[in-house]
Amino acid sequence: MVKEGNNTVFRVGNASFINGVLLASGPAGYGLEYSGMMRMARLGGVVTKTISLKPRAGNPGIRLRETGSGLLNSVGLENVGAAKFFREKLPAVLEAGIRPVVSLAAEDWDDYTRLLDETSGHREVDAVELNLSCPNVKSGGMSVGTDPAKVDVYVREAKSRLPGVAIVAKLTPNVQDIAGLAAAAEGAGADGITAINTVIGMDIDVGSRRPVFRMVRAGLSGPAILPVALEAVWRVAHAVKIPVIGAGGISSVRDAMKFFMAGAAAVQVGTAIFYDPGLPERIADELERSGVPARI
Amino acid sequence: MVKSCERISPSCGVVVFERPEGFPGAQPGQFVSVRVSDSTVPLLRRPYSIMDLTDLDLALLVKVAGRGSAMLASAAPGDVMDIAGPLGGVPFTDPGGEDAVLVAGGTGLAPMIHAARTWKRRGGSGRILLVHGAASRDESPGVSFVADCDEVFRAPMDGSTGFRGDAVTLLERLLDERRISAPLLYSCGPAAMVRALVERTDGKFRGHQTSLEAVMACGVGACRGCTVPLREGGKIVFKAVCDDGTVFRASDIAWEEWW
Repeated sequence: MVKEGNNTVFRVGNASFINGVLLASGPAGYGLEYSGMMRMARLGGVVTKTISLKPRAGNPGIRLRETGSGLLNSVGLENVGAAKFFREKLPAVLEAGIRPVVSLAAEDWDDYTRLLDETSGHREVDAVELNLSCPNVKSGGMSVGTDPAKVDVYVREAKSRLPGVAIVAKLTPNVQDIAGLAAAAEGAGADGITAINTVIGMDIDVGSRRPVFRMVRAGLSGPAILPVALEAVWRVAHAVKIPVIGAGGISSVRDAMKFFMAGAAAVQVGTAIFYDPGLPERIADELERSGVPARI
Repeated sequence: MVKSCERISPSCGVVVFERPEGFPGAQPGQFVSVRVSDSTVPLLRRPYSIMDLTDLDLALLVKVAGRGSAMLASAAPGDVMDIAGPLGGVPFTDPGGEDAVLVAGGTGLAPMIHAARTWKRRGGSGRILLVHGAASRDESPGVSFVADCDEVFRAPMDGSTGFRGDAVTLLERLLDERRISAPLLYSCGPAAMVRALVERTDGKFRGHQTSLEAVMACGVGACRGCTVPLREGGKIVFKAVCDDGTVFRASDIAWEEWW
């Protein structure tokens, strides 16, 4: 039985959420696909699958490979494109009672500015996560998110073209200094940081002596990366004052508590929903029951 | 909850679950995803075609291929595993009274058994002819499973039924010898088998639907991890096996773009 009373509200910029339990961008699609398996209204929100200005077909070849307590993916930001997202997906998401954070990525600067303008026409969007860190695309993605100067420019542009919208920068762990990236984002006006995106990995098919994935490298998620994510959140939370959203390998309520103790103000659950779609709601229940754990 | 788990060969088993509460009816070609362990090893649920669904039971055909399938195939009565389903947005379409050849490779037999039972129970008047390829005769479940098929042809690779070769080669011979004929072809099995079927039966059937196998994560079309490339209007599009399938028109698959 859940006791009422604990304040679980999570705020980033001008956006607020009933609690700090979000679904990470990617695994949950646009949120709609999972609405039969979880009570979306009990969750703080859903970070929707990253959209780009134009539709992306995604990567050819094998896209998934399970590892020891982990999952490699090379989906390659397959998505319906901004026009269809705003025309069809977002209205359905809102209709379904899902609280969205819209995830954006761009292949180049021109695409990026047009995508921001397309987004700014939709007043129902009050929070955006910039995917500056996808390892599975040839251009944009991680190539932007590993350079503090580029993070600065991209965040500034989002702040200027999306006035009043909470801008969250999602960072890659595949760098020497993730705290430096976070500081750059904060300096450019970001309202929050999500840490971390997937960790780069690869696999080889021994029989054919070939890399499993056409792009060779892929993004590792799942419990295997939790210690990496936790340490990154710890470092980022010490480097910035804006809210940090912890993500990476959460597969139990206790895992989520660790992220709050490391300094996160909210968490995202990704890969775990594949095998345990009830987990995000159980984390929300625990926050209501016991309050948000204090930072250590 | 597992009701029974019977090894039918050294590497294959039939696992019968109590039909989960509220589990809706299922169409041939649909599947369930089973969480075989409460731990994160293995991490993902495992997708299995529904072999049979009655008021009381849900039966799956399991071949041991790795850690997850080994755990499922060695389940004990009373074991509880979380089952999601039925999943799969596009099932096989009913042959509608016409004769149908069903070609199954290995555990690709499961949806064929489901199809034969479903269509016969509906009172379908068409003949159902099953061609099953497997490593050995041991891997073919007993006659009770295929009782709804009018004729069954087995193609064990080890020659243990007198014919040595794969299901596609046996089908070619049966067609050449005019021992079977039908307008419709249905298949399920390893992609290499389905590809060979498409290439070697070209023009011999009016339609060929195939239920594809794939490694899956979400099972509901969200993660886009289990995609198959299809030719659509002169270009390649990726469709999710879990939700845009599992059944596709076999001639649409762009094999050279896969893997």
